[in-house]
Amino acid sequence: MKRASILLETNMAKKDVQQGTLALMVLKTLDVLGPLHGYGIARRIEQISGDLLAVNQGTLYPVLLKLEQEGAIESEWGSSENNRRARFYKLTRAGRKLLHAETRDWTETTALIDRFLAAKAEDLQ
Amino acid sequence: MKALRRFFVRLAASITRRGDEERLKAEVEEHLAQMTAANIAAGISPDEARRQAVLKFGAVEALKEQCRDDRGLPFLEQFVQDTGYAVRTLRRSSGFSAVAVLTLALAIGVTTAMFTLLDALILRPVPFHAPEELSLIYMGGRTGGRTFVAPAVLRAWRESPAFAGAEAAWGDIALIEADASVVTRGTARVSPGIFDLLGGVRPVRGRLFDASEGRPGTNDRVLLSEDLWRSLYQGDPSIVGRRVTIDGEAVLVVGILPSEFRFPSWNTEIWRAYDFAQPTTNTRDFPIVYVRFAANMPRADALRLAQDAARAADARNAKLEPKVRPLAAEMLDPYYERAVPFLAGGVVLVFLVLCANVSSLLLARLTERRREFSMRSALGATRARVMRQAFVESFVLAALGVVCGIGLAWVLISTARVLLPEALLLRTLNPLNIDLRALGIASASGVVAVLATGLLPAWIGTHIDPIQSLRVADRGGTETRGARAVTRGLLVAEIALACTLLVAGTLLVRSFVNLASANRGLDASGVVVVWIGFERPVFKEPASFQAAVRSVEDHIRTLPDVQQIVWSDGRPPTGGQFSWGDWTSDVPGAQPVHLEVEIYSVGPDFFAFYGIPLLRGRTFQPRDTSHDVLLGERFAEAVFQSVDPIGRTFTFDKQQFNVIGVVREIHHPSLDPHVDRPEIYTAFSGVGGYSLNIRCGNTCPDTALVRQKIRAAHPALTVNDVDALEELYFEQLAQPRAVAALGFTFATIAVLAAAAGLFSVLTYAVGRRKREFGVRSALGASPAQIQMLIMRDGFVVAVTGLAIGSIAAWSLARAIASFQYGVSLNDPSTWLVVFGVISVTTIAASWRPATNAARVNPILLLKDE
Repeated sequence: MKRASILLETNMAKKDVQQGTLALMVLKTLDVLGPLHGYGIARRIEQISGDLLAVNQGTLYPVLLKLEQEGAIESEWGSSENNRRARFYKLTRAGRKLLHAETRDWTETTALIDRFLAAKAEDLQ
Repeated sequence: MKALRRFFVRLAASITRRGDEERLKAEVEEHLAQMTAANIAAGISPDEARRQAVLKFGAVEALKEQCRDDRGLPFLEQFVQDTGYAVRTLRRSSGFSAVAVLTLALAIGVTTAMFTLLDALILRPVPFHAPEELSLIYMGGRTGGRTFVAPAVLRAWRESPAFAGAEAAWGDIALIEADASVVTRGTARVSPGIFDLLGGVRPVRGRLFDASEGRPGTNDRVLLSEDLWRSLYQGDPSIVGRRVTIDGEAVLVVGILPSEFRFPSWNTEIWRAYDFAQPTTNTRDFPIVYVRFAANMPRADALRLAQDAARAADARNAKLEPKVRPLAAEMLDPYYERAVPFLAGGVVLVFLVLCANVSSLLLARLTERRREFSMRSALGATRARVMRQAFVESFVLAALGVVCGIGLAWVLISTARVLLPEALLLRTLNPLNIDLRALGIASASGVVAVLATGLLPAWIGTHIDPIQSLRVADRGGTETRGARAVTRGLLVAEIALACTLLVAGTLLVRSFVNLASANRGLDASGVVVVWIGFERPVFKEPASFQAAVRSVEDHIRTLPDVQQIVWSDGRPPTGGQFSWGDWTSDVPGAQPVHLEVEIYSVGPDFFAFYGIPLLRGRTFQPRDTSHDVLLGERFAEAVFQSVDPIGRTFTFDKQQFNVIGVVREIHHPSLDPHVDRPEIYTAFSGVGGYSLNIRCGNTCPDTALVRQKIRAAHPALTVNDVDALEELYFEQLAQPRAVAALGFTFATIAVLAAAAGLFSVLTYAVGRRKREFGVRSALGASPAQIQMLIMRDGFVVAVTGLAIGSIAAWSLARAIASFQYGVSLNDPSTWLVVFGVISVTTIAASWRPATNAARVNPILLLKDE
């Protein structure tokens, strides 16, 4: 019983991280690489982020759905490298704006946190 | 913004249900295929490659589930799903649904109709722009004054900065000749600016008056109401610009006003331009003046300015001051001000009874469906989910109820407009329409109905212990305790409310019957009364006056079936000259008696004409002066007590009167005791305005015809009113009649609803308890004993309800008291009626279920198991 609840908690914690960052990663990926299908996005994120998506690539899809509903990305059917039918996602104008805004927020936040964490006791006095 | 966009995308997805499911499936498949391919390329065996891909991808079904929830709006979809299910369920048991919907429709319809009345008669201000600034104004002293205003004062007020505008109107009755028929309609002379003063008046056709119209030469311009235009001229658009005949004069129609425009009186249908500001000494041409106060000036300042202006304009105003009657308050009827809220309270009770009825129906049905609910909860539905399902059903019922209710309200209001126009619309300028406000109330009462009828049954009906409920359901056992208590509670409440309404309804009806059948002390049947004005200077000479009187008599006698004519000044029920003060008899040691008295001036045949018996003394003779009087009984008793008044005198207002006779008292039955005053009679002297009392045989002449005859008798005569006397009495009863009819209707609905509730609940209970009755009868209970069991059940509920309802009625005694006439809450026969009706209803409602229970055959029951 106890183990189960611990597992659940870690899962939840991990999911929170994903929700907050995955969307930004998807947007950045599409910005850099242009139109891409789900597998391509997942692989790209995996390459860069290590094992964040190693376990659960499927979680990408709800994020894609949400972004599409918000109008940040759009999708259409196309054919993949090995000539299979695949759904390709690309950034919209609104998505690009969103990416810039989110990127700026993110850098500001991390810079702030960095400064805060780097601060020594005497700096705070 | 993003969230909003997302909401709409999801809403659209919920509604359109595009092939998103397929798309996700294909995407996932492609994703897995590419992962597998990559794994194979890395040198893993195909089976293992696929396995690892699936592992890495994660739980596919959970993912689909999440996407499904994110794609649309699950709450909305469930609601739609529940609604669809509810509609199917309700359709399956169409009988129950029809009863529930109709009951709710009745509740909502009656509430909406009543609100429409309340709104038109009391709540809504007069339907003009900024009505709080509008007032009727006149000059008066401490003891009153004349409400009409001299032209000079009107001119002064128009120029005064106290008001944003001052306009005038005078209401009257006119004869309209169209084709071959002659009809009487409400008319008004108005100053052309009155429409601007009131604000927001737009003609349906044509135009309003120009500011210059109404002066001699252009005072023949009229506006017609839409109703008159449609009924009399068949809505002919070419009527604008044509001449029509009104009061024997060809006048020019310049426009048509919408039927909602009602001013200065509720029944005005013709408006004629008239310049009231032109100088005249004839008070007949003095109008009622309406003003709009300037918005930026305090009222006290405005009134001071108005007073100065009026005094400067006319020296007779030196000691008078402006009296103001706000237009809104002017139109409030004191009787309706009390009666309509009282009836609205009655409607709320009816609404509650009907809701309780639907609630107990729903509860019975939901407990019947326990198996379904326990099945669903066994399949994983939470209590909230099942409750929501149950609640959505009552929502669907109420939605249907609102639609049908609005239809019913429309029917009720249309009927009321046709059947009770005077009683309902008298003294309101608002049209009686189902408008947006009424629709709002209908919807609101629908929401209340959902909450009132749905919550409790949903809570109790879905309270399920799956195991026990499966067991009980299998064996067709008894009602659950909670449901039983609640159903009985609802029934008791229904009967209590019905009882309260029945008490009030019975009292209202008895009061009306008492009013209508009360002894008036005179014979009013077959009498037509005409009120004629002789005010013109033409009649100053006695000879010309006598000639006009004779001419009128001669003309009237040419009408068929006219038997007798009597002149009088004043007549019942409107009253004579109202006099108020101290009356002192010449009996030694007599104290002044303070009385309000009606003084009628009557011809010598007046008493014989109306069948008023002469008790003592004699009636008038030609040599009598205006100080020789006959007394009514009440006056004689009050002023002379036991002394015989014949030959004695009394003084009033420094004048001495000689008593020549005493006649039987006449009465004016009314809810307002001040209206029925003692009376005395003086000899008809030939001053002022006169009533011509005409007694006819089998059929009385048409009132329009009488008008024509009098107009033909002398051109200078004015006919103020022509009425059948019975109708005048009847009109006085219009309001109590409408209130009694409504009260009685409410009580009937409530009693029938309570009876239906009792019947259905007992029937349901008998169905549930079949097994118990079977066991009882197997153990030796006789059918009569079982029957008694059910009847007793019904009676316990009825008696409890009666007790509570009676207490409620007693506590409402004060509210009811002001509507009683000749009957009180202590009246035994009223209570006999109430107890009788409730008992009979209870027996009628529980008889069928009880006999059904007695017929249960234990053998058949055993077979069922």
